[in-house]
Amino acid sequence: MRLSRISFVFRRVLKSFRELLWTHILTSGTMAMTLFIFGGFLLIQQNLHGLLKGWGSQIQIFAYLENRLTAAEVEPLVNRLRGYPEVESVRFVSQGEAWENFKKSLGSQSGVLEGLSADILPASLEIALKAAYRNHDSLAGVAQRLRTEKDISEVEYPEEWMARFSLLVLGIQWAKWILGGFLFMATLLIVGNTVKLAILARREEIEIMQLVGAPAGLIKTPFVIEGMIQGLLGASLSLLFLWLLFLFLSSQLPFTLGVLTDRAQLRFLEPESLALLLFLGWAMGAVGSLLSLRRFLQRW
Amino acid sequence: MIHLFRVSKIYAPNYPALVDIHLEIEKGEFVFLSGPSGAGKTTLLKLLFRGEEATEGQIIVNGRNVTRLNGRGVARLRQEIGLVFQEFRLLPTMTVLDNVALAAEVVGTPVRESRKKAFNLLRELGLKDRHDAKPPALSGGEQQRVAIARALVNDPILVLADEPTGNLDAEMADETMRLFARIHDRGTTIVIATHDAGLLKRFSYRAVFLQRGRLLGDSKFAGEAAT
Repeated sequence: MRLSRISFVFRRVLKSFRELLWTHILTSGTMAMTLFIFGGFLLIQQNLHGLLKGWGSQIQIFAYLENRLTAAEVEPLVNRLRGYPEVESVRFVSQGEAWENFKKSLGSQSGVLEGLSADILPASLEIALKAAYRNHDSLAGVAQRLRTEKDISEVEYPEEWMARFSLLVLGIQWAKWILGGFLFMATLLIVGNTVKLAILARREEIEIMQLVGAPAGLIKTPFVIEGMIQGLLGASLSLLFLWLLFLFLSSQLPFTLGVLTDRAQLRFLEPESLALLLFLGWAMGAVGSLLSLRRFLQRW
Repeated sequence: MIHLFRVSKIYAPNYPALVDIHLEIEKGEFVFLSGPSGAGKTTLLKLLFRGEEATEGQIIVNGRNVTRLNGRGVARLRQEIGLVFQEFRLLPTMTVLDNVALAAEVVGTPVRESRKKAFNLLRELGLKDRHDAKPPALSGGEQQRVAIARALVNDPILVLADEPTGNLDAEMADETMRLFARIHDRGTTIVIATHDAGLLKRFSYRAVFLQRGRLLGDSKFAGEAAT
């Protein structure tokens, strides 16, 4: 496009923002609300993922060994388990250590153990997984393989808790797309109607431009750019509100709910999510404008 | 310049606006399309700049087959044509200068050059002092001259005018016609649709007569037949 045409397009965009300022503000506000809700889901999902990762370092699989096993027989088993691709570390806990730990955990009530033999607790292996495998499916997979080992009598891990938490994350992920999808459709209609209003307000001007030979692109481009600007403004506004909400929550939530021990665990959106929200705003504006232009400009 | 071959336009069944029109207009000609209201004059003009599509037939304007043009082609065709309407069709919120300059800008003329061309034209048409006014503040005659300036700003090879004197008194109408005559003297082809028989008497140019969508006569050939 030649410089004179680019200048013409931008002067028309400026003119439109001057003449239909409140219409543009309302549309940007509506887009901001949609993106705020979508971004809110992103934020929750991202922080739950972070939480899961943080807690994941404390999640271990406990493999209880057969009583008949000697120390010499444990060694090759430990080495074999360290060879699992998912396994980060394997620590052997002898019967004696298990007994001591149990006594310690009972504290002042450890007297109830008097008279019991130290070998009532089995020796075990504490298996930690690599960060990439600290999820429900990997834990279940490794546990399943451990159960097939003939020297292991029982395997335990926080199965139910992990399953519920993973389901929650999955639910939020789906809710984000389903609810987001409905909101996007509604927003597209609103953007389309704004463009329709802008087209109707300038109908006479557009007709004259068509009559004097203005190329279709020159007539349409300002409307599409207006849509994109509205979308980017809406997305920026939604990010600002999300940031304010995040500041409020990160100062309140950990203490109110007692869920998190470290406030630093709450994190704002990753750069990719910020870019996604800005892109969605931009795309909603552009698509809404193009759809409206297709519907209304062809009629003339 | 303009060739119409067996052109028909039907808006609704049993209501033909134009039927089987054959017409040739040479480069540099001045032609009146004349006839009563509903004769098909406006429809014929609209077909020439693709304001409407012909139902049948072929239309060639300046070497372009108008019936086969795509959107880009229509825009290019209209850049070569100046259009003038009875109701002026000026933008009331823009100044006179901006109204004229807009037509130059949309075809890619830089803004400064567009405004300079527009201003020179307005000066030539006696509207130099009115360039900053908004159209509603102008008289009918002045508004029509602004519309003519807009039609001329891209140096068209063809000017199509639909009842350009329809909203003007006799004196203004004659002045506007003299303006078209001046434009024609520069070599521009002019086609004017009018139902005003008086104009045809006062300005002796070729006249094509239409009635109920049919071409009834053409003064060019009537003259030849008489001789």
